[in-house]
Amino acid sequence: MSIVSLHDVTLTYGSGATAFTALRGITLGVAAGEMTLLLGPSGSGKTTLLQVMGCLLKPTSGTLRLAPIGPHDSPYEVSEHRHVDQESLARVRLARHGFVFQHYNLFPTLRAWENVAIALDLKGRRAGMRERALALLARLGLAEKADAFPAQLSGGQKQRVAIARALAGEPKIILADEPTAALDGRTGTGVAAVLQELAHESDAAVVVVSHDPRMLPYADRVLKLEDGVLTGDRRVTDAERARASELAHHSPP
Amino acid sequence: MLRFGRNEWLPGTTLLAWRNLAHDRARFIVTLVGIAFSVVLMGVQMGLLVGFAQTASSLVDHARADLWITAVGTTNVDIAANLGARRRLQALAVPGVADAEEYMVQFAFWKKPAGGNESVILVGFDQATGRGAPWQLVEGSVADLALQGGVIVDRLYAGKLGVTKLGETLEINNRRARVVGFTDGIRTFTQSPYVFTTKANARFFTGFGSDRTTYVLVAAREGADLATLRDALQRRLGDVEVWRTADFSRQTQRYWLVTTGAGSALLLAASLGLVVGIVIVGQTLYASTVDRLPEYATLRAMGAPNRYLYAVILKQAAISAVLGYAAGFAATLAMVAIQSRSNIALVMPWWLALLLALLTAAMCALGAVFSIRRVTRIDPTSVFA
Repeated sequence: MSIVSLHDVTLTYGSGATAFTALRGITLGVAAGEMTLLLGPSGSGKTTLLQVMGCLLKPTSGTLRLAPIGPHDSPYEVSEHRHVDQESLARVRLARHGFVFQHYNLFPTLRAWENVAIALDLKGRRAGMRERALALLARLGLAEKADAFPAQLSGGQKQRVAIARALAGEPKIILADEPTAALDGRTGTGVAAVLQELAHESDAAVVVVSHDPRMLPYADRVLKLEDGVLTGDRRVTDAERARASELAHHSPP
Repeated sequence: MLRFGRNEWLPGTTLLAWRNLAHDRARFIVTLVGIAFSVVLMGVQMGLLVGFAQTASSLVDHARADLWITAVGTTNVDIAANLGARRRLQALAVPGVADAEEYMVQFAFWKKPAGGNESVILVGFDQATGRGAPWQLVEGSVADLALQGGVIVDRLYAGKLGVTKLGETLEINNRRARVVGFTDGIRTFTQSPYVFTTKANARFFTGFGSDRTTYVLVAAREGADLATLRDALQRRLGDVEVWRTADFSRQTQRYWLVTTGAGSALLLAASLGLVVGIVIVGQTLYASTVDRLPEYATLRAMGAPNRYLYAVILKQAAISAVLGYAAGFAATLAMVAIQSRSNIALVMPWWLALLLALLTAAMCALGAVFSIRRVTRIDPTSVFA
């Protein structure tokens, strides 16, 4: 079952003579437990698509549908026919999404574990917050850096803290925008491996926007976008996955 | 350093607010200095206003009279008009009046023992009842006023009047007087110090005949309704004015603070303090918010509701308000302590301290409005570089 599905989604920025259509008739579904890689040249609409999936932008036309998050929940739909305000969209993001940004976007005045805990605080899950934050950091190999401030961490460590923060709220959808772009080779493949592991070990859908060819072997599925149109959708082959294992072996995170 | 507690008692908004402030230490110090400056400015100006008001009406407030009978057109206690002494007897005849006595307030010339003149306000009271007598006596005795020419003055004006100790002699309106007591803290609004003496001595100094006075102080019988008694006195006495003490006190304060412009000048300065505070808090908080817009955008992208972002900003303002108020209030109290030995009344009653705290909170909340308006317009997609 798709966690996120889009039906004939179009998104246009601006209006009149300055209007620019970034997405055209996108229809796709993203399933839980797998990592989907969104590839495409600059300006192809990758980040815009990620923002639509992340309820940060409303489609100009078409429908975004998010699966229920509990047995008593109903699906959430965003379309041009339904008025939703920014506060409603924020509530949806808080309940369902986790984000990983290219430049980490950690809070510089908070320690690593506090950066993770703030996601729990936002959801009102304050009991045992510290222990849960520390457990997430330990899972990502950062137990010893829990008390460090972002300025005291390397790029790879910062990105793993950001991933821990995205995971803290137990989201159904993890959206990562160029998560390896600011990292060197070994660190980048380490982060890619972490995201793949998360997709396989949790029931969340992981969608990664990237230009980075190093991400390819770690993905389960690859979507290709050109000029706002979905031009490719394929599964990653076993041969590519085997290569991923090999790379992971030689380049530990 | 402030952090999430083991028991998670500290909300994330408080942690972020404190860390944001502590991280921009220089800006935080500027904010605190600005708030403290505003608190001192507001506190001193309002403390002076209250002090001036209390000083202006102190004779009325401490006379222990229930009602005051004055000549028609009397605007304040210091500038008194003549009143027939028979008014006292007429007042005594009104049911509900327990006692009534003459009270004289008159400007006079004080010739210092070592030479030189000062203007003073001579206050003659009835020694038998003690109504209208000096308060806060620290040296000498009210009983000694019975000596011809006996006077009591305040220590705050001893230097101005050229006297230092009991028994010193001088002249009032060219008649010999002797200092028989000192009070401490009885100030005057007019800068002409109060000089207390008996009714008889006041007549001796001023040449007032026994048929004249300036006020009649009335003590009501226990349980009497003062408004009713005032009306009864007014009807019976006719062409005089009868005031309840609180009304005459307010009238005196209003006269000095409004007609001299002192009140509006002090209120204007206090308002300026408030404006300065709002601008400083608004400017520094706004600059801090603009610097941290990517962080607010990140929170918004993560799903933070607007109230979460507002809470961070308002808590920054609240922390600044508490610390700035503490520093400013401490400085104001120090100034109050220093001024207590001068003839300028600077006071800080508990209710003024509370009002100052509320104004500081309002000032910081208003200062936060600019920042809140800015984060309201934040675009969460801006976090995607």
